[in-house]
Amino acid sequence: MNPLIFTTILMTVLLGTMIVMMSSHWLMIWIGFEMNLLAIIPILMKKYNPRTMEASTKYFLTQATASMLLMMAIIINLMHSGQWTITKVFNPTASIIMTSALAMKLGLTPFHFWVPEVTQGISLTSGLILLTWQKLAPMSILYQISPSINLNILLTMAVLSILVGGWGGLNQTQLRKIMAYSSIAHMGWMTAVLVYSPTLTMLNMLIYIMMTLTMFMLFIQSSSTTTLSLSHTWNKTPLTTTLILITLLSMGGLPPLSGFMPKWMIIQELTKNSSIILPTLMAIMALLNLYFYMRLTYSTSLTMFPSTNNMKMKWQFETKQITLLPPLIVMSSLLLPLTPMLSILD
Amino acid sequence: MMTYIVFILSVIFVVSFVGFSSKPSPIYGGLVLIVSGGVGCGIIMSFGGSFLGLMVFLIYLGGMLVVFGYTTAMATEQYPEVWVSNTTVMGVFLLGLLMEVMLVLYVLKSEEVGVVFKFSGVGDWAIYDTGDSGVFSEEIMGVAALYSYGAWVVIVTGWSLLVGVLVILEVTRGD
Repeated sequence: MNPLIFTTILMTVLLGTMIVMMSSHWLMIWIGFEMNLLAIIPILMKKYNPRTMEASTKYFLTQATASMLLMMAIIINLMHSGQWTITKVFNPTASIIMTSALAMKLGLTPFHFWVPEVTQGISLTSGLILLTWQKLAPMSILYQISPSINLNILLTMAVLSILVGGWGGLNQTQLRKIMAYSSIAHMGWMTAVLVYSPTLTMLNMLIYIMMTLTMFMLFIQSSSTTTLSLSHTWNKTPLTTTLILITLLSMGGLPPLSGFMPKWMIIQELTKNSSIILPTLMAIMALLNLYFYMRLTYSTSLTMFPSTNNMKMKWQFETKQITLLPPLIVMSSLLLPLTPMLSILD
Repeated sequence: MMTYIVFILSVIFVVSFVGFSSKPSPIYGGLVLIVSGGVGCGIIMSFGGSFLGLMVFLIYLGGMLVVFGYTTAMATEQYPEVWVSNTTVMGVFLLGLLMEVMLVLYVLKSEEVGVVFKFSGVGDWAIYDTGDSGVFSEEIMGVAALYSYGAWVVIVTGWSLLVGVLVILEVTRGD
């Protein structure tokens, strides 16, 4: 793509999300979502093969439907309150429709079906943008309407997402699909605590974005999209093998790594609100996630995965230098002692 | 009848939406879109928005739909599907029509309609002359406000249109 056009379109994606996060008028928020959607389509279609075109079409259809539902909820809100500001959603119908629309945008169950298919069909860098930056805008709106969200619907969607994210990822060997199911599960954790304490949602979002960025960059550095391909990193850059191990365990939520922080805080907040069965169930279902991360670490760092001898010597043209990788790895594994600082997110 | 003009126009609006969403060939979809555009313009004009109705006819029907019609005519097939040619299309159209007729009868019969919203009968759709809102028409003041208080909206929508053109050119460029 022409670099100037690519820069313009990338900046428009950023502008769309910024407009969503900074507006106080519902129409501007909707315009921001549409701008974001329109501008990310050519980024998803950077390579011209039928798979990327199909993935972009699926993404466009689901997100456009979600925008339509959002517009309907906005108009119902306008009908019942007569004003366009986002402080509170004044009608339960509008609130439910809006929650469903934003869940479609995030990829929560039962609207999760597009996430693995779209993530698999696009390149690693586009998948990175899709799973991290595109989650910011809907989450910021959920944060802003969190007092008026129907708790039953949101908790149902959250728990089902954790379940689907864990179970769905079990049978996958393609790394992008694994990251997609991991994203579904993490979105479930984030929305479960939204009504109780939106600050923890933001904390979880921050840690999740850091960990997902790290994982994707490790994949990009070794240009690997399958488990088999990832298991050859011991030959190319042995250090990243260890780093993959640490980051994956952090994503699984193991202490003393920073991935434990959001899970710990969320479980604590939920039990403070006298719901005990729910966080127990969520923690148990997070084990499913941990299983397929462990499987990746087993095949990558802990064992030499069986392959033919000529596949062990992987040809690499030049080493990709990703400047951001070391700070990201440090942040996604060592942040746990900084937990008391989360009060700055308030 | 004039007090219920909005209700009648809305019914025609919904029926034409059912007409194109039952997916005949795009040419016929465009035909019904013309009807729905015209009826939508009528609805807006009944509320006093003559400028916006004119915009619908000029820009939407006269600009976008004409371009759509030309491109569809270039890409059409030899025997395009009508509503009665395919059983599925006809079935969906009749189903939508039936649901609309039942809803209209429900609205006409009962005092209150509580499907998703609560409407208190057909009277909710009537146009009353609510008296003067001053010397200026409300709607023209809204358009003027778009360019004064709403300058940011103009910038954002203008940028979206520019990026829309860039995106479409980029997507259809191929390799």
